[in-house]
Amino acid sequence: MLSKTIVRLAIPVAAGALVLTGCGGDEGGGGTTYKIAYQGPLSGQNVGLGENMQNGIQLAINEANDSGDYDFEIEYVPADDQGSETQATTAAQSAIDDQDVMAVVGPAFSGPANISAPLYGEAGLAAVSTSATNPTLTEQGFPTFLRAVPNDSAQGAGMAEFLAAEGVGSVVVVDDVSPYGEGLADVAEAGLSEAGVTVERQSIPADTVDYSNAARNIVESGAEALIYAGYYEALAPFATRLSEAGFEGIGVSGDGSNDDELINLASDAVEGWYLTCPCTDATQEESTQAFAERYEEEFGIPPGTYSAESYDVTNMIIEQIAGLNGDVSRESVHEALAGAEYEGLTKTFSFDEQGEFTQQAIFMYQIEGGEIGYVGAIEELVGG
Amino acid sequence: MSLSDIWDVLVLGVVLGSLYAVIAIGYTLVYGVLQLLNFAHSEVFMAGGFGGVIALTIFEPTADPSGIQSVVYILLGITAGAALGGFVAFGLEKAAYLPLRRRNAPRLVFLITAIGASFFLYNLAGKLFGRYPIPMPSMYENRRLFTVFGAPVSVTQFLIVVVGVLMLVTVDFVVNRTKLGSGIRAVAQDPEVASLMGVNIDRVVSRTFVLGGLMGGAAGFLFGTNLQVDYTMGFLPGITAFSAAVLGGIGNVRGAMLGGLTLGIVESFTVEIWGDAWRYVGGFAALVLVLMLRPTGILGERVGRAA
Repeated sequence: MLSKTIVRLAIPVAAGALVLTGCGGDEGGGGTTYKIAYQGPLSGQNVGLGENMQNGIQLAINEANDSGDYDFEIEYVPADDQGSETQATTAAQSAIDDQDVMAVVGPAFSGPANISAPLYGEAGLAAVSTSATNPTLTEQGFPTFLRAVPNDSAQGAGMAEFLAAEGVGSVVVVDDVSPYGEGLADVAEAGLSEAGVTVERQSIPADTVDYSNAARNIVESGAEALIYAGYYEALAPFATRLSEAGFEGIGVSGDGSNDDELINLASDAVEGWYLTCPCTDATQEESTQAFAERYEEEFGIPPGTYSAESYDVTNMIIEQIAGLNGDVSRESVHEALAGAEYEGLTKTFSFDEQGEFTQQAIFMYQIEGGEIGYVGAIEELVGG
Repeated sequence: MSLSDIWDVLVLGVVLGSLYAVIAIGYTLVYGVLQLLNFAHSEVFMAGGFGGVIALTIFEPTADPSGIQSVVYILLGITAGAALGGFVAFGLEKAAYLPLRRRNAPRLVFLITAIGASFFLYNLAGKLFGRYPIPMPSMYENRRLFTVFGAPVSVTQFLIVVVGVLMLVTVDFVVNRTKLGSGIRAVAQDPEVASLMGVNIDRVVSRTFVLGGLMGGAAGFLFGTNLQVDYTMGFLPGITAFSAAVLGGIGNVRGAMLGGLTLGIVESFTVEIWGDAWRYVGGFAALVLVLMLRPTGILGERVGRAA
C-alpha cells in the first residue's frame, strides 16, 4: 500500500549509499574488458518484454566473447528500471557510475527513456533503444540518445492505414495514460481522422481495477474497431471484458502488447486481434531463423518481441568498439554509433542527425488459434 | 444517460462496491479493536488471489465443466483464497503486531510496521510466484446469467455480489450475535475493562485479524477471477477499500459495507460520465465531501458503539 511511496523515497537514498561505498572497481590490467549495459524492465509487471531484450543482448555478447575475433572481452551489466519513471534515474545512474560501461542498450520504455536520456547525455554515454518508440524522444535534443526502431508515428500511422484500408467506419482509440500509449494513440487518432474515419478517444489508466464500464461503453458506441495503445498486461483483462460485453469489431494493438503472455492471460478473448510491431518475427523471417534456433538453445524459449533487434544492436555496438582499435571511450563509441551503418539480421541500422532511425517499416501480426501469427509488412498489406 | 444506461452502470458499481465492502471489513475490524491502520491488509487480499490460483492449479478445472463442477471449483477457490488470506492475517498479527503490543509500542511504530509488512509481503509474493500477472484458471463460461431492468449480469458479477452479501451478513452476525463478537465489541469499547471482565484480549485480537483475513482473502480470489492475479494487485483496491472504511466510519462494520458500496457506485458513475481517467477523482472527491460534512464518516466510528 503506502509502501510504494516509501519505496520511491527509499530507493534513491539506498542507491546513493551504494554508489558512495561501491565505486572504484578494477581498472585496466590484462585483457581489456568493456561493458554494455541494458536498461529496461527486469522486474515488475513488464518483465516479459524486458527479458526478451536482455536475452538477445546476452546472446550477442556470449557469441562475441566465444568467437575469439576480438582482443577484448565484453561484459553485460543489467540496469533494471522496472519500466517505470520512478526507477529510471537510479537505473541510469548505476550504468553511468560504472566507468567500464561504453554503451547502453535501452532504455526499453519511453517513459523511463524521457528521464534517463538526459543523464546519459551528460555522461556522454550512448543509449541505443530498440523499443522506446514515443515520437517526441528524438525531438528533444538528447545528445547521445539513438533510436534503433521505427517510432510510434510510423506504428500509429500504420494502424490507421490498415484500418482505413479495411474499410472501417468508426474506431475507438484507447490509451493507457503512459507516454508510450498516449504517443501511439495520438498518431493513430490523427491518421484515422485524416482518412475520414470517425474516431473516439478514451484514456484508461493501466492499473484500472475494473474494465467493465469501458467495455460496455465501447460496445454501446457500436464502434467497428478498437485500437488499444498500451501494454499486454492491461490489454488482457480489457479484452476479456470486451469479449464478454459482446464486442465484435476489429481489435488492434501495438508492440507493447505483442507478447505471448497476452494470449496466456486473455486466451480466447484476444483471438483475431491484430498486433502491429516495428519488429520482425525472428522465427518467421528467413534471415533470423538461425538466430532463433541459437536463442532457443540458449534460453529454452523462442525469441520474443525485440529479441532479434536487441541482438543486432548489441552486435553493432561491439563492432564499433572493435573498429576503434583501442581508442575506446564513451565519446568515441557514441560518435562511431551515430555515424555507423550496420547490416543486422533484422534490418539495416543507421541514424539521422537527431538520432532517429532512418528506416520506418511496420509489420502486422494477428492472433490465430492461440498463437501470434506473422501477417506481413503493412506497406504491402495496404498497397496490395 | 438513458434509464437503461443508469441500470447498467449501477449494476457495475454494485459489483465493484461489494468487493470494496468485503475488503473494507478487514480494515475496519482491526481498527475497531486496535486503532491500528493495518496497511498490510492489501497483501492479505493479494494472498487470497494467489490462494485461489494455487488451489485451482492443483485441482485443475476440466475443459468444459458442468454446472455442479463449476460450483465445486468456485467453492474451492473461495475457500482456498479465504484460507490463505486468513493464514497470512494470522501470521501477520503474530509476527508483526503481537510483539509490539507486548512492548506497549507507540501507535506510530505499529503504522510503520504495517507499511513494512505490506512491503515485505508483496515482494515475497513477487519472489515466490514471479512478477508476471497470472490468469485465474477458468472455472466456468462467464456468460450472461440474467438481466436486472435490462442491465446484463454475468456469472462472475453475480458471484461477486452473492458471495459479498453472504460474507457481509456473516460478519455482521458474528460481530453482533456471537461470543467472539461480544469480545470484539468489548475490546473495541475499552480494552482494559474488557480484560478485567475476563476477555482474553490476545485471543480476540488474533481472531479479529483472522476474520478480516478470511474476508480479504475471499475478496482477493473474486477480484483475481474478475481481473488477474499479480503481486501488486492489492495496492489500488486496498487503498480504495481503506477509503471506503473511512467513508462509512472507520471501526464500524456496517459503515464499511455502506462505504464500499457507495465508493463502487460513485466510481462507476464517474467513469461513465467523465471516463476511466477520472475514476479515483470521483471516489476521493466523495470521500472528502462526506468527511467535510461528517468527519466521523457516514455511520460514525467504532465497532463498539455502532453495533
